[in-house]
Amino acid sequence: MLWLWILIGVAVLLLLFAVFGYNRLVRLRNEVNTGWSNIDVQLQRRADLIPNLVESVRAYAAHERGVFEEVTRARSALQQAGSPGSAAEANEGLTAALVQLFAVAEAYPELKASENFLQLQEDLTDTEDKISAARRYYNATVNAYNTGIQTIPWVLVARPLGFHEREFFSARGDTTPPQVSFASAT
Amino acid sequence: MTLQQQIRSNRLRSTIVVFGFVLLLLLLAGLVGFAFDLSLGIVALIGAAIYGVFALIRHRSIVARLTHASEVDPEAIRPLRRLVENVSIAAGLPKTPEVRIVEDPAPNAYAAGLRPESSYIGVTTGLLATMPQRELEAVLAHEVAHIRNRDTYLMTIALIFAGVIALIADIGFRSLVWGGGRSRRGGIIVLIAAIVGFLLAPYAALLLRLSLSRRREFLADASAAEILNDPEAMALALRRLERDTTQIAYADASTAHLWVESPTDKVDSERRGVLAMTSLFNTHPPIESRIAALEEAGGFRLPEALPSDEPFGRELGLV
Repeated sequence: MLWLWILIGVAVLLLLFAVFGYNRLVRLRNEVNTGWSNIDVQLQRRADLIPNLVESVRAYAAHERGVFEEVTRARSALQQAGSPGSAAEANEGLTAALVQLFAVAEAYPELKASENFLQLQEDLTDTEDKISAARRYYNATVNAYNTGIQTIPWVLVARPLGFHEREFFSARGDTTPPQVSFASAT
Repeated sequence: MTLQQQIRSNRLRSTIVVFGFVLLLLLLAGLVGFAFDLSLGIVALIGAAIYGVFALIRHRSIVARLTHASEVDPEAIRPLRRLVENVSIAAGLPKTPEVRIVEDPAPNAYAAGLRPESSYIGVTTGLLATMPQRELEAVLAHEVAHIRNRDTYLMTIALIFAGVIALIADIGFRSLVWGGGRSRRGGIIVLIAAIVGFLLAPYAALLLRLSLSRRREFLADASAAEILNDPEAMALALRRLERDTTQIAYADASTAHLWVESPTDKVDSERRGVLAMTSLFNTHPPIESRIAALEEAGGFRLPEALPSDEPFGRELGLV
């Protein structure tokens, strides 16, 4: 009789452990999804700024066709990127193309002084800051989630239950180390 | 302690605090009823309940009034709003908190609100005038961390209930002074018990509230360092706050626990003068130990000299 009770007790404990563990993984996965949509919003916003920017530069420097094409190509690459890794890559590509565009703009003082151009430039900087902020959060959530499904005992059941590892938002060859956690400082 | 644990423990503590305060409230109302008249006790209880509900609904503007924070045109402080937006995105807040400005030369900041979606951050003009962008961001991240960790939830509830307790004690004390002679159950012991009770109640409320505050400052510092991935910025900001000796003009015991740096440390201005003893119960751990914790976690040593970068307020045209 005693053994039965112990068995029931152990079964209940195991069940509780499984329920809490599963819920934790679901929560971590949802945080990753939220984190990704934060990045996505900002990437979209960045891509939306590009046509206006190209137009305003084109008005002064119509002959710099190569640069405009480069920027437009980088923009559509960003919009078509499917995974976080390739989106990060495409985003870097767009940054590189924009450097050229702004180098062209340097040569036109009137353009540089125009209200519209200044506003676009400011918005673009703001978006870039926000992308890097959203990236910090997203990478931290990915880190927590991946650790969650790579640790015993979850590593044994995570895949069959549909928990797959997620990609960091970082371009290949990007050497910035993933987040350092200070949570243990308390 | 991880963040999730902290959030859970904050929710649990909030429940405990609420029940603790309700108990204290009933006790106090009972005391009022016992010392004078049952009906007075009931009236006090109903008054407190109404005030409590009202305060919960209006908590945003009540805290704003206590701290003299005013809403400003978002366009006028756009660069500041941008910093707050970036920090909230990095912290993963569902919505960027509003920013309110406190006209005060002392550098300080606080966060208030029950839910992350309805929270706001108050910063003093002094903070904007002294902090360069990097350190200002750290202070904002500290406040955003308070919101994310649900510290503001707990602190706001504690603030409201402490106010309610003070109100009841006030009613009791006044009745004691003005109508003590008419007390029906006169006995001198009852009278002494009542006086002691009314005097101690605000202390009890205060103590309950302080028990909430200190460890979460360390956690908010650590969270801020994590949000920005820059523990040194937070430490530098704290050092700058420490070196600054401007005192916040309306340091008030009732809101001391909200600010990033304890505003009452350097003065003994206390509510009603009765509470001069509260310096024993500091709302914040000493800044030095907060800096030390960051240095240890981040593995760096803070240089003696602070960077002399432009204060952020210059960009806003405040300096």
